[in-house]
Amino acid sequence: MTSLSSHSPGALAAICSNLAKACEKQYRTEEFQLFNTLEQYFSKHMEQSVGKHLDELTGLIQVDLNETFVTCEQLASEQGDRGTLRALTWGKKVTSIHKSLLTRYAKQGEKLLDNGDLYICEACGFIAISSETPAMCPICKAPASRFSKVQ
Amino acid sequence: MHAVRNLRLCTKDCLCLFVCPTGATDTETGQIDFAKCIDGCRLCVDACPSHAISLILETYPEPKVKESTIQKALNILLESKVSQEQLCSSVASNSEKATKALATALARSTRILAEDCARESAFMLPQSESVRQFLAELVDKPYGEDFPYDAVKRLLELL
Repeated sequence: MTSLSSHSPGALAAICSNLAKACEKQYRTEEFQLFNTLEQYFSKHMEQSVGKHLDELTGLIQVDLNETFVTCEQLASEQGDRGTLRALTWGKKVTSIHKSLLTRYAKQGEKLLDNGDLYICEACGFIAISSETPAMCPICKAPASRFSKVQ
Repeated sequence: MHAVRNLRLCTKDCLCLFVCPTGATDTETGQIDFAKCIDGCRLCVDACPSHAISLILETYPEPKVKESTIQKALNILLESKVSQEQLCSSVASNSEKATKALATALARSTRILAEDCARESAFMLPQSESVRQFLAELVDKPYGEDFPYDAVKRLLELL
């Protein structure tokens, strides 16, 4: 069993927003709202990041791709944990998309969105730069209705 | 098992209204009245042409607790994603235009990846022993006065 002492406020926020989503899908409206209340508390108390620039993200992402994902995949594979392997497969692809977006941003800067807007797949986290809502998520195959435009 | 209606899919074909033996599908809220819904009946589920109704379990089997090695590895990934989310949120609040939009999108996307780690490590099902234990630990933590202890206590009653 995992213990709370090992979780940062940010991780507790993600645990609570995950549980809020799970309650919403089970039509448990009151529980959905209560987990959101907890999520808001933990998000408010997340450590203030010292980071100022998006290029600091590239190094963190590279560690995930080279090490953290690999360790998780090996363990999930050994234990035949299909659910975790699926989440990791998509998570790694989305993380690679983050990396390529950062590369484009490093080259284009503020011109990045001159020819399109940012759309995010709410199912897997995939991000597209597009002039219209993508018809389907290339990673998890979710339909257009699962995309939100980032304002 | 009782029926639930996904209002995003419902196209008001209303076949559920005439197949339902109890009138449970006819409500002002658009949701199905659980008190009237017959356990496992599923007539409305099969009748709905837009596949907007499904059955939902009252009780789920208790999920198997995962090995501590995989839980630990997923927690490391969770913390890594959370620190990336924090960096992106911080950049988003201190910038504008394309940089702000990209940082916002990255923060939201990274949160989804963090939630996946949380789900797979131990928190898939809200009504499971690991979530109840998580909530019980929260109640005992000495957080500040603004911590919503009442929400945690209510969740422990409901789940």
